[in-house]
Amino acid sequence: MLQSESITFAYDKENQFLFPDIKLEKEEDLLILGESGVGKTTLIQILAGLLKPQSGTLKYNGLSYHDLPSKELDQFRGKHIGMVFQRPHFVRNISILDNLLLSLYLSNNEQDKELAIHLLEQIGLADKLNCKPDELSQGEQQRAAIAMAVVKNPDIILADEPTSSLDDTNCDKIITLLKEQASSTNAQLIIITHDSRLKSQFKKSIIL
Amino acid sequence: MNIRRLGWRNLLSNPLNTTLSLLLMTFGVGVISLLLLLNNQIEQQLKANLKGIDMVVGAKGSPLQLILSSIYHIDNPTGNISYAEANKFSKNSLVDFTIPLSFGDSYNGFRIVGTTPQYPELYEVSLKEGRMWSRSLEVVLGSTVADVHQLKIGDTFYGTHGLVEGGHVHDDYAYEVVGILEPSYSTMDQLILTNSHSVWKVHNHETIDDDHDHANCDHDHDHHDHANCDHDHSEEVELSISEDLSIPDDAMITALLVKFKSPVGFIQLPRKVNETTSLQAAVPALEISRLTSLLGFGVKTINGIAYIIIIVSGLSIFISLYNSLKKRRYELALMRVHGASKWQLVKLVLQEGMTLSLLGAIFGVLISRLTLFFMTFLMEQKYAVSSFQFNLINEELWLFPIALFIGLAASLIPTIQTYNINIPKTLSNA
Repeated sequence: MLQSESITFAYDKENQFLFPDIKLEKEEDLLILGESGVGKTTLIQILAGLLKPQSGTLKYNGLSYHDLPSKELDQFRGKHIGMVFQRPHFVRNISILDNLLLSLYLSNNEQDKELAIHLLEQIGLADKLNCKPDELSQGEQQRAAIAMAVVKNPDIILADEPTSSLDDTNCDKIITLLKEQASSTNAQLIIITHDSRLKSQFKKSIIL
Repeated sequence: MNIRRLGWRNLLSNPLNTTLSLLLMTFGVGVISLLLLLNNQIEQQLKANLKGIDMVVGAKGSPLQLILSSIYHIDNPTGNISYAEANKFSKNSLVDFTIPLSFGDSYNGFRIVGTTPQYPELYEVSLKEGRMWSRSLEVVLGSTVADVHQLKIGDTFYGTHGLVEGGHVHDDYAYEVVGILEPSYSTMDQLILTNSHSVWKVHNHETIDDDHDHANCDHDHDHHDHANCDHDHSEEVELSISEDLSIPDDAMITALLVKFKSPVGFIQLPRKVNETTSLQAAVPALEISRLTSLLGFGVKTINGIAYIIIIVSGLSIFISLYNSLKKRRYELALMRVHGASKWQLVKLVLQEGMTLSLLGAIFGVLISRLTLFFMTFLMEQKYAVSSFQFNLINEELWLFPIALFIGLAASLIPTIQTYNINIPKTLSNA
């Protein structure tokens, strides 16, 4: 269960954010909608444990993870949170399969090669296992980035504008894929976007 | 996949930068290592060939030249001296033994040295085949001489006047090979040994009664030479000395090697020779340290240049790490998002820098050996630098900590940047 209360963050005097409270039960997904400049990226970085809120509480299953020491917070993030970015990013010098294995390694999971291959096959990248990220098309990279986030079986998948640069067809595909992967790993999906096309796809949504 | 493998992949994915850094480090370390090895080798070789010779007596001239010519056989002799005069010192109570050397002729660049069997004995070289010379014009070959010219027992050849090829050929007298020495990795390998008589005979028909000498064994069965013939095929050391007894008073030699009984000899004898006779005495140990200190300046200069190359290689490592990190900042942030700790990333960056510097050092040490191996191979026939060692010498062990330090220093700034990476900012700017 993810719960936040009156989280605030300020970069400087002009850029101060007070975020609405979030209460997310187990197996619930969430859509956070907001226009540019309302602190979407800030919020997702706070949720991911990358940015410490200046006030307010944020707990996952009762654990206020921002108060963990740096190394444990890294491990918490590695174990529980999978992140998908607007533009897909990888470690460029190693293959897609190795990127997945690296993700498993960094999150202290067993480097199950079968599992990683199976996942890549599922999302239609069976023939790209040993390709370097740069050798994939945009769409393929998008899917591979999702695979990299979900391979470690996280509890929360945080997606930052995963669809904003996609056309309707691809937007649907990606959201379907994210939902599939989330449900197959029993993860909660939190999407932050300004893309209102997604509104109909989620039962629960908040607006920043 | 882990940090170590990722580090390797990063290095391999940037072949040009990696190669440049590696090459520079390899080159710098290689030059220093080669110098150390050469220095070590030369010193060892110089010392090994001394074989306890305390003093060399020869004609006036450069003492260094006297040492180089009569111990190492790599320079021209200073001139001739009277054997009778030089031999006076043999009877001095401070002298253990003396060995006369007469040379000036060669065979295809290898020196023909007239001496006593004590000379190869001093170098602890034994015969591989055949026997010692027992009379004039019989020669024993050093192992390299035999190898290079494919000479066997029973072969004959003519000596050439002078120490380089192309001089006047003494075609009146043919030398006969009667023995070949074991390889000893000393100057002995490069020499053609015979008795002093042979050298005198070839050069001066009047000095020694030619006919008498020949008759010694082959025809004349009288008194002391008798045994000489019968036991022709054993090592007749004693008997060949008996032939030396007939050395005439006016015989000339090139140098006399002297071994003292006690260190007191060093204080008295060289001065005595230089002040009271027309001869020159040189102390090899002194001349060699003078020589190495002369060489030392050049060695230091090249060493300095090599250290600069190592520092430049550190700079190259720094630049390539810095540039690749600038390109990979997002990757590092991404890894943190996936759960990597700060220290894991520090390890990744440090490892890349250290791998380059350490690999460079290892390659450098290997390359220096390879170079030395080929140099030895090429020079072997000219100079006695044959003993070759592959193991690390003490001074070289320093190269590894130095290389690691350079790697560490080069990685320092990129490492600090990595440690302090601002993940939210890096992710937002991507």
